[in-house]
Amino acid sequence: MKSWDDGRENREESRRRLREALAQSRSDLSRSWKIYKRSLLAMLGLFMVISVSMVAMFAEEIAVEHPYRNLQDTEDKWSIDYEPRRVAPFSEECDWHEQKITTNPNSPLFSDTVVAESDDKVGDDNRYYRDTLSVIRIIKLEDSKGYNLNTSLLSIDPSNSSILIVSSELSSNTSLYTGVWVTYEFDNEAMHHWWLPDGYDVCIFGTNDQGQDLFSKVLYGAKVSLKIGLTVATLTVIIGTIVGSISGYFGGRVDEFIMRICDIFFAIPGLILAMAFVAAMNQVTSLTIPVWLGVLIPLFVMASISSSYLSSTVPLDSIVNERTMNRLTYYRWWILAIPIVLFFLGWLPFGIGWPDLFGLSDDNTWRLIATFSIIVLAGIVTLADRRFVLDTSIEGGLERVRESFDWTNPWRYLTFRTVAVFIALALLFNFSGNEGGEIVLIKDFDRLWKVQAALIFTGWPGYSRLIRGQVLYVKEMTFVEAARSVGAPSGRIMFRHILPNAWAPLLVAFTLDIGGTILSASGLSFIGLGAEPGTAEWGILISESRRYFLDSPWLMLYPGLAIAVTVLGFNLLGDGIRDVVDPKNRR
Amino acid sequence: MKLHEFVVRRLLLLVPVMVGVAVFTFAIAHIIPGDPAAIQCGDKCGLIVDYTDDGDPITAYEANRIRLKMDDPVLEQFWRYITDLAEGDWGDSLLYHRPVVDVVKDAAPITLEMSFLALFIAYPLGIFLGIISAVRQDRMFDHVSRFFAIAFVSLPIFWFAMMLQLYLATGTEHGGICDPIFGTEGGCFPIYGRHDPSFTYPEDGYMWFYPEGGTGFHLIDSWFVTDEKLATLPAEWGSNWLLFKDTLMHLALPCTALGIASAGSLLRYMRASLLEVLHEDYVRTARAKGLSEFRVVVVHACRNALVPIVTILGFSIGGAIGGAVLTETVFAFNGMGRVAVTSLQYLDFTVIMGVTLITSVIFLLSNLIVDITYAIIDPRVRLE
Repeated sequence: MKSWDDGRENREESRRRLREALAQSRSDLSRSWKIYKRSLLAMLGLFMVISVSMVAMFAEEIAVEHPYRNLQDTEDKWSIDYEPRRVAPFSEECDWHEQKITTNPNSPLFSDTVVAESDDKVGDDNRYYRDTLSVIRIIKLEDSKGYNLNTSLLSIDPSNSSILIVSSELSSNTSLYTGVWVTYEFDNEAMHHWWLPDGYDVCIFGTNDQGQDLFSKVLYGAKVSLKIGLTVATLTVIIGTIVGSISGYFGGRVDEFIMRICDIFFAIPGLILAMAFVAAMNQVTSLTIPVWLGVLIPLFVMASISSSYLSSTVPLDSIVNERTMNRLTYYRWWILAIPIVLFFLGWLPFGIGWPDLFGLSDDNTWRLIATFSIIVLAGIVTLADRRFVLDTSIEGGLERVRESFDWTNPWRYLTFRTVAVFIALALLFNFSGNEGGEIVLIKDFDRLWKVQAALIFTGWPGYSRLIRGQVLYVKEMTFVEAARSVGAPSGRIMFRHILPNAWAPLLVAFTLDIGGTILSASGLSFIGLGAEPGTAEWGILISESRRYFLDSPWLMLYPGLAIAVTVLGFNLLGDGIRDVVDPKNRR
Repeated sequence: MKLHEFVVRRLLLLVPVMVGVAVFTFAIAHIIPGDPAAIQCGDKCGLIVDYTDDGDPITAYEANRIRLKMDDPVLEQFWRYITDLAEGDWGDSLLYHRPVVDVVKDAAPITLEMSFLALFIAYPLGIFLGIISAVRQDRMFDHVSRFFAIAFVSLPIFWFAMMLQLYLATGTEHGGICDPIFGTEGGCFPIYGRHDPSFTYPEDGYMWFYPEGGTGFHLIDSWFVTDEKLATLPAEWGSNWLLFKDTLMHLALPCTALGIASAGSLLRYMRASLLEVLHEDYVRTARAKGLSEFRVVVVHACRNALVPIVTILGFSIGGAIGGAVLTETVFAFNGMGRVAVTSLQYLDFTVIMGVTLITSVIFLLSNLIVDITYAIIDPRVRLE
């Protein structure tokens, strides 16, 4: 029986190396920062990116109101009872409130005084109520046809600023029985910015035609745009890297095939392709994958991991043993074959899906997953124990399972890893919610998600090409040859030796791509194939402002500036990083 | 490899890509939700238009499905699509009720004229500024121009276009800056459209006086309008020059919006390329010979620095056509971008396929031309 004490020296050695590597990377990092600091533009970019990120993070705290709520509706206090209007930045009209006063004596509301209050509102208890507003001054008085009346016909009660006193002249004028409209300035403390000096603190970007505060919308737009930029760039990098490294590493026909597909993607202008893709997904409401795919993919991944693990961890001296070698190959294929065999068993000959095969109804698919998890868990735990391969007795299978859960077993981390992977999968499955035979990946696959999917779809070929070139370059270096000559498997060479040496241009492209993605996403929104109208997204804000852009240029000015500043920040940052990773500067 | 072998090789490589693009457009048009047969008959789908031989009624919807051969196997449909494409029959637009070929033929010159002119502005500007930037490396001009180059790439095209409209195409009452400076009325440039509205008389959008079978590029066509036709036009448009000038004025803002990003990225490429060349030995030799700095940079260094720039041209054309979708929306040009947007909004399947296909053909061909040019300029390429 092996024990933890067996490899003590080795572990200490590896710990020492880890410490050294950490110290090395720390000094590398500080040198990179020194190079980065040299460029003023790069520092400016970093500053812009950090500020935009901060704005996105603290949008709720800085913003005056929720972006989808009316200006006068702040903190559930005021309701919409006035004609929404576009108000220029910093204008006084932000504090104005328009209200109808019934002067008809038969109306129940009529009295000598009219309380300045909000319209009927429904409270949490489902009862109507009205909030009182404290009036500062009366600005305009209009009859129902829109003609101006003398404002002296109304006055504010000096003892209670919530009460307007209607003069007898106004109340006795029978032609005004339908009511008059009063515009007054009200005390609007709720929407003042605590972080700005007095007098500059109301609707600093103006309001849109719905009377909504543009400033809040732009702030919340930062959240949306950064989210899109980061998600798309990250996922594109992942997909592009995987495809590109496969293409570059294996070369030959695989390479040719993948590169031709990339050519097709390059042949169609990105924006048009993304537009078509968004339109194609028009009626998709939630992103789901069938259960069989959801089971098969993790199964296959686990199988290939354990298979490559088998081939890479078998000690050299035992490889000499021909019988072991045969056995090893045999089991490797067997592991890889499990998912495929299961798939064909359940799917092809009978034309039935997995749920039918196991007699489970659709809403019981989680049980299916659990069953498979246990089977595969047991299988992999048993198989991945390298002693199983070297052992002569197959009857010891159960014993191996027991051993792999044994606390003193040095290889039990393998078991832990497998268990952890399956717990994670189960949790993911549980939280994503499942609907009849399908695993829901994204429940509410709204327009924003569609834009992201489209941009990922159109973006990966660029990265593939980039990574392919890098891999082709690194592949020829001697250390890769050395790794190959000691028999390291392809996956290990790729992820441990090639990719870590090819990341530099990838990082630059990633940073620049965040900016590019934000630009494309806002462009898609602008032509009406992106975010829903009314969303706090910069592109759609500009698109909505087009109708008024001659009269109210602020509606388009600020969202556009926000896009420009954000994208500029990321571009400058990417440029700075390019200087850092450029070998010419690393002397 | 000889040059003609290279060209043939490149042409052959185009074939699989074109087939791939065709597969792609076909797939997209089939994935897009919506039934062309139902769209074509609208609210009259239930009407009985015919009877089968057995006497069963055929509704308008079913008739459409039969006419469009939608019940055939997908592979058969695809094959028919490919063969029809090859024969020049791209189907009929459901929205415009015209053959797609005609729709594209009308729209493509508009986009191309705009894109070409935009690049025509962007290239000299970007190259010129790039040269100055490289020569004055790490001086003030370099920093400022680099900042602006990145800033121009970061601008959202549609927003920049609207800003141009706002400040250069409006009167003072809307914040236009032109009127006080140039004494114009209502801004320096027309705010949108491809022509003055009075042009399209008598039929909306129809330029009857431009020659039949012309290039479609009105910058060129305007010089071929015959005198009889000019005589029928109002006096303020009554000459070739005035027609040309009007087109040019209308193109100025869209082209600026479209070209500014290309100019920015070009500046950076040119600067990097020239900086590399300036460190070469032959430049030092040229300096050692006592040549003037101007001659060293412009004659000796630039010639070689410009070689890699040629390759960017192909990508710029693709970028410009993509960007045209946005500028055409802002400036109300009926080019391919606008056609693409409209066809996607109204699910006009045949036009979607046609526009995607034609943009990719243009892109591939321009890249092919660029590659061949590159092979001529730099014979090393052919050896690979």
